[in-house]
Amino acid sequence: MSWIPFKIGQPKKQIVPKTVERDFEREYGKLQQLEDQTKKLQKDLKKSTDADLAMSKSAVKISSDLLSNPLCEQDQEFLNLVTALDTAMKRMDAFNQEKVNQIQKTVIEPLKKFGSVFPSLNMAVKRREQALQDYKRLQSKVEKYEEKEKTGPVLAKLHQVREELRPVKDDFEAKNRQLLEEMPRFYNSRLDYFQPSFESLIRAQMEMFRGQLAMELEIQEKKP
Amino acid sequence: MASYLESEPPSPGESSGDESQGVEATRICEKMKLNQRLAAKELVNTEAKYVHNLQLCASDIRSHLHELPQGDLDVIFSNIDDIIKVNSRFLKDLEKAGSEEEQISLLGNLFLEFQEEMENTYKVYCACYNQALALVETYRKVPKLQKVIHDVITALVPQACASGLSFLLVMPVQRVTRYPLLLQKILENTPPDDEAYEALQRATRAMQEVNSNINEYKRQKEIATKYNKLEHLTVRERLARINTHSISKKTLRLSQLFKQEAGIVTRTFLRIKPYECDLEMEGGAVQQYCCFTRDLHLLVFLEFKQRLERLVYHPLHHLSKALLGPQNLIKKRLDKLLDFERTEEKLAEMGSMTYEEEAIRHTYQALNSLLVSELPQFNQVAIQWLGQILNTLMALQRDLAQQVLQRAERELGQLPHSHVSDFDFRKLIEDTLDKTSAQLQSFCQNFQKVLPVPVRQPLQPAAERQVQALMSKYSPSKLYQVTSNISGSGNLALTLQKGQIVAVLQDRDIKGNTSRWLVDTGGYRGYVPAGKLEPYQVVPHDKPSMQSGSGDGFKFLPVETPRSSTHVAMPVFQVVAAYPFVARSNYEVSLQAGQSVTVLERQDKKGNPEWSLVEVNGQRGYVPSNFLVCVPSPTPWGWSLPTGDSSLSHM
Repeated sequence: MSWIPFKIGQPKKQIVPKTVERDFEREYGKLQQLEDQTKKLQKDLKKSTDADLAMSKSAVKISSDLLSNPLCEQDQEFLNLVTALDTAMKRMDAFNQEKVNQIQKTVIEPLKKFGSVFPSLNMAVKRREQALQDYKRLQSKVEKYEEKEKTGPVLAKLHQVREELRPVKDDFEAKNRQLLEEMPRFYNSRLDYFQPSFESLIRAQMEMFRGQLAMELEIQEKKP
Repeated sequence: MASYLESEPPSPGESSGDESQGVEATRICEKMKLNQRLAAKELVNTEAKYVHNLQLCASDIRSHLHELPQGDLDVIFSNIDDIIKVNSRFLKDLEKAGSEEEQISLLGNLFLEFQEEMENTYKVYCACYNQALALVETYRKVPKLQKVIHDVITALVPQACASGLSFLLVMPVQRVTRYPLLLQKILENTPPDDEAYEALQRATRAMQEVNSNINEYKRQKEIATKYNKLEHLTVRERLARINTHSISKKTLRLSQLFKQEAGIVTRTFLRIKPYECDLEMEGGAVQQYCCFTRDLHLLVFLEFKQRLERLVYHPLHHLSKALLGPQNLIKKRLDKLLDFERTEEKLAEMGSMTYEEEAIRHTYQALNSLLVSELPQFNQVAIQWLGQILNTLMALQRDLAQQVLQRAERELGQLPHSHVSDFDFRKLIEDTLDKTSAQLQSFCQNFQKVLPVPVRQPLQPAAERQVQALMSKYSPSKLYQVTSNISGSGNLALTLQKGQIVAVLQDRDIKGNTSRWLVDTGGYRGYVPAGKLEPYQVVPHDKPSMQSGSGDGFKFLPVETPRSSTHVAMPVFQVVAAYPFVARSNYEVSLQAGQSVTVLERQDKKGNPEWSLVEVNGQRGYVPSNFLVCVPSPTPWGWSLPTGDSSLSHM
């Protein structure tokens, strides 16, 4: 609540009870952390998949370079070796590509979707803050009038301001309540949300290496 | 082959004649024979000693020097064993001779017999000799090892301890150069008509040849080392030997790629440590994934990388370095070829050469023959090496795949879906993801639905009545509220205040401009800008809460706000005088600020809305409408309008 300009001389009255505020901060803090981590995870996953692809691409490059080496024409054995290597690398690349696609679909996309909830959440929190601000402003106005002498116009003003205050206060409380309800729900939903993603991560790796191993064994058998 | 007889006292035609001369001749002959025998004996004796020393050096000293690494020992002693073998055989055959006469004739033939073998063994030894010496020098600098060597030598060969190992190592070199000298000495003292003369002569020549061959060989080897040290590159292109060239180029590129690959792999791949993210998720697949990736990163990938470096990258590196030497040599050969050709020309012109030119020729020839003989082998070895490296690469990948697979299967086994086949699993995942994304959508919408609950200013009673009137004429969907003050200008434009309710008749003006709408304020009609209108939700009177589900879509309205009802239910009574007013006639009544009044009528008898009939303190009278305030509205908008041509009519 630091954005409220501190009026010098006026004790800062806690309009919203401390516990409520604390709860809210805690929940929101958790969600903010979640948001940061989601973003970080997304970035890291992207880097990881890019590195994966780069690795297999460079492997393919190695083997095709070797193939184009004139040495292959001279030495038959060498040629066989290099062709085997080349096939292996190309197949590995294919597997890798597939794995990356799989990861893309099952992990990165869901992550993105998860992340897209956060902007609306942040907007909602901002609105709540605005409502809080209005509420506080009017509340202080009411108090100001209450402190004044109870003269006619003051009373009139007081009534007026009080009436003004009421909807604003209700609005704030509504927002607060809603957010306090929804935020923990959202936070807890992430567990179930991400389970399949992680499982599929493991699976994707496994598939790729399984395929690769099968292929390598095959090549090894072919060699003398 | 100079004539050795010249060293003898000249006696060309002395066979006949003088007694004294004859006696002298015989004496000389005798002397010669004696010398010869002596020389032969010397040869045999020294040979025996030599072999004995060699054996001592090789077996005893070497076995005691186990402090030194085996590779170094091999370098120091190189093929001393071979030398020992050859020479012991030689010695044995030498000693087989019976008399001294036989010995001499045997000598010559023996040398011829052993010539080739000796050449082969000694040339290897001599070529390595420099290296061995250098190594011994380095050991001399290490005090501890030096002491060890010293002790061993002192124990076994006391007379050699002063000069150390080098004394012993130089023996073969000395020996092989001594042979020609010894032989020459014998030959000197042998009369030409001696039957052994021919053999001896040939033997001497042979040994000299051996020596020069050894020199040649040594020079070849040294050229290689000499030029390998040179780093500078020539500008000229290489001609032939594409093999080596392309191997080297490809391996360089390969090593570069590996470097890059390893670099990339380490830099990003291993840096991403998702298992470190603390998402606060306890159970489920995350556990497995965490364990799995942690294993992978800390063990498997690291191991793969290390093995890759050790077994593939470093060998490649060495291979490419090893290729540099021959390349340099090839370049040098070309240079030398030009020099050689120059000397050829000179030779053709002049017929003789200086010593330097001879040297140039020799260098070129040595280099050329070295390359021709050794390059094919080298290429072969390099190709094999490369093949080996590639094989290792494949094996490494295979191992990596195996390990990852093993771990993945272990982790996956703990997960619920382990038995599901791949294809089905994918479908499963897709379905789950669809569901969860729908869930997310709902969350999203929840958050978005927190629209600002429009501060619903409750209507003034007059306005309420106006609304009712409007509603009676038009459908509720046509009702709009003015969001901000409109000041009309031009024909038929209305001036309205914020919050006023109007009914829209047409959403365009005569000219078809959709930004100006024709509205009805209940009494007057006119045009207002459309941007300042927003749909107005008619609030039914009697309902205490404004729970309207549709349309605006605000979900969470305060459930217990009786504000509308309270205000609507208390239309008239909550009117307060904002300012004091002094009555100026009996029709008027005085007001005090803050006084609560009761409004009886909102206009005077003439219908002027600027005066209201109120009752205060029991008195009735007219008061200016402006002086009255009706909470909670901030401005008395229901009451009076500041500008002249406004047209809000009261009912």
